[in-house]
Amino acid sequence: MAIVEDRMKFGKIIAAGILAASLTVPAVSFAADKPVVGLVMKSLANEFFKNMLEGAKTHEAKRGDYTLKAVGMQSETDIETQINAVESFITEKVDAIVVAPADSRALVPPLKRAMEAGITVVNFDVALDEKAKQEAGVELAFVGPDNRAGAKMAGDALAKKLGEGAKVVIIEGNPGADNATQRKLGFEDAVKEGKLDLIDSRTAHWETEEANSVFANMFTANPDIKGVMAANDSMAVGVVKAIEAAGKSGQIEVVGFDNIPAVQPLLKEKKMLATVDQFGQQMAADAIDKALGVLKGGAPLKGWVKTDIKLVTSDDVK
Amino acid sequence: MDATEFNSASTGSLGTTAKTVLREAGIGIALIVLIIVFSLSTQHFLTSSNVTNILTQVTINLVLSIGMTFVILIGGIDLSVGSVLAFAAVVAGTVMTLPGLDPSVAVMLATASAVAAGILFGLLNGLVSAWWGIPSFIVTLGTLNVARGAALQVTGASTIYSFPAAFNAFGSQTIYGVPVLFLIALLLVAVGWFVLTRTVFGRVLYGIGNNEEATRLAGHNVFFYKVAAFTICGAAVGIGAIIYMARLNIASPIIGIGFELNAIAAVIIGGTSLNGGRGSIIGTLLGACIIGVLANGLILLGLSDFMRQMITGFVIILAVILDKYRERLTKA
Repeated sequence: MAIVEDRMKFGKIIAAGILAASLTVPAVSFAADKPVVGLVMKSLANEFFKNMLEGAKTHEAKRGDYTLKAVGMQSETDIETQINAVESFITEKVDAIVVAPADSRALVPPLKRAMEAGITVVNFDVALDEKAKQEAGVELAFVGPDNRAGAKMAGDALAKKLGEGAKVVIIEGNPGADNATQRKLGFEDAVKEGKLDLIDSRTAHWETEEANSVFANMFTANPDIKGVMAANDSMAVGVVKAIEAAGKSGQIEVVGFDNIPAVQPLLKEKKMLATVDQFGQQMAADAIDKALGVLKGGAPLKGWVKTDIKLVTSDDVK
Repeated sequence: MDATEFNSASTGSLGTTAKTVLREAGIGIALIVLIIVFSLSTQHFLTSSNVTNILTQVTINLVLSIGMTFVILIGGIDLSVGSVLAFAAVVAGTVMTLPGLDPSVAVMLATASAVAAGILFGLLNGLVSAWWGIPSFIVTLGTLNVARGAALQVTGASTIYSFPAAFNAFGSQTIYGVPVLFLIALLLVAVGWFVLTRTVFGRVLYGIGNNEEATRLAGHNVFFYKVAAFTICGAAVGIGAIIYMARLNIASPIIGIGFELNAIAAVIIGGTSLNGGRGSIIGTLLGACIIGVLANGLILLGLSDFMRQMITGFVIILAVILDKYRERLTKA
């Protein structure tokens, strides 16, 4: 009997020990050596963000001094998933949240709550709305590329190739999306500076098939178009096909944005003049680096920390 | 089905044939009016290159709409069309870019696999909705997500490109200004028209849309016909996927978003009733042309993107209102 009782006691002690360990050990290890970074991504159905996430995972394995928790969304407009992700990161008491907001206003309140809970927040890819930040009384830095400057680089390359007075059109991204607006503004900057003649500007909602149709129709209405600025490469692919179908290959220059693999052969065959690489794969990793810097006692981030952008032409594709 | 029943069915259809022709004539007149308006108001509308453009732009939607007509005629709807198109395209794209395949073999295998992928989802839609009697609206809303997820899973969200040069060239070929891809779509229109109007199979589909219970009591296996309609729609989507690839030389898991809505719009504008039982493939052909002509003409007119979207929406509403009047006329 005594032995049995002893055993039971022993069992209880072990059980209690395991329970205590399971409660305390991870928390201790989180706090003491490895900080936890919650990454809130946009739609992983988009190649761009999927590569970005892979870049972040590689980065986690390479640095080895933090734990990454990533959440993506179903579609580009699934704002609720992002808000829920931020809220559960607050509950989990992560050390930092790195976020690519799907909506530049809706994410401000939950991120404010995260900061009040003592979590370091870094905003990347798309900047949060300045006014919404001011109204909420939040000071939040932005790590990301200058889409407007990038689009201007592509537009400048087009202007240099075509010369003053050449007729050009813009194929825009989704109306209302911040990067679409910035890229359109950048193209317009290049038009003004290069004295190009902008005759039309229409959206094709980032899509290849729609860009193909929309450009074919614009070209019918204005047969003297000499250049096209597409706000992303998927649309540039559609534009190039429309030019081919019209038998005008080599007579109309096309620039795009994003440097996706599908445009590599087009750049090589000079069916496309240039695109812009904003090193998406690096972007999340860079933002995480900045967050970890603050966690390790670095100065808090301020304003806009610009990431690299680069013009890519046929010379870069070998 | 015995002889007397079949006779009464076919005499009944004579009356509807006359009404169908009248209905199609109305849509045809609307299309002609649009064409005249755009020809007078824009400089380039009636040029041969613009006609080629419009036909190219109508093609994919037309092919999807043909399949959609079969489903809507039995009183169903297929919301999975755009996602299944993406799935079929990435499956075909993967097959087409397999290393070491002879280009012509690769294209044939890819075409077969696109159609097979479409049929697979069509079967799934049909079997689930017919077996458990679930509204196809819900079932296809489910497969919309299943197919999109599968397309993303298969590709890891990346775009497939660089298909055989001959395939790419085929996609932009024209005969007297008519795109070869559009001719393929026209061939499908002819087949669809024949099946729906000249076969017992087609008449039973109308019967199901009009009165499912009566069709069942007449001794027809309604389950089989329902599954068949969804499978035909799936096969059309597979063909649409290959046409997409031939036209644009890429296959990506995010293509085709919202294509189902365009196809439904073409079918409804073409005079097919959302309640099933009334409508025709010729109407669908005209409906798809109206959408294509509007999209093209409004850009040539220089209207803004937002105005274009509003006008297209109004046309759909108008078509449904007109359908209500037709319904009253038929009943009177």
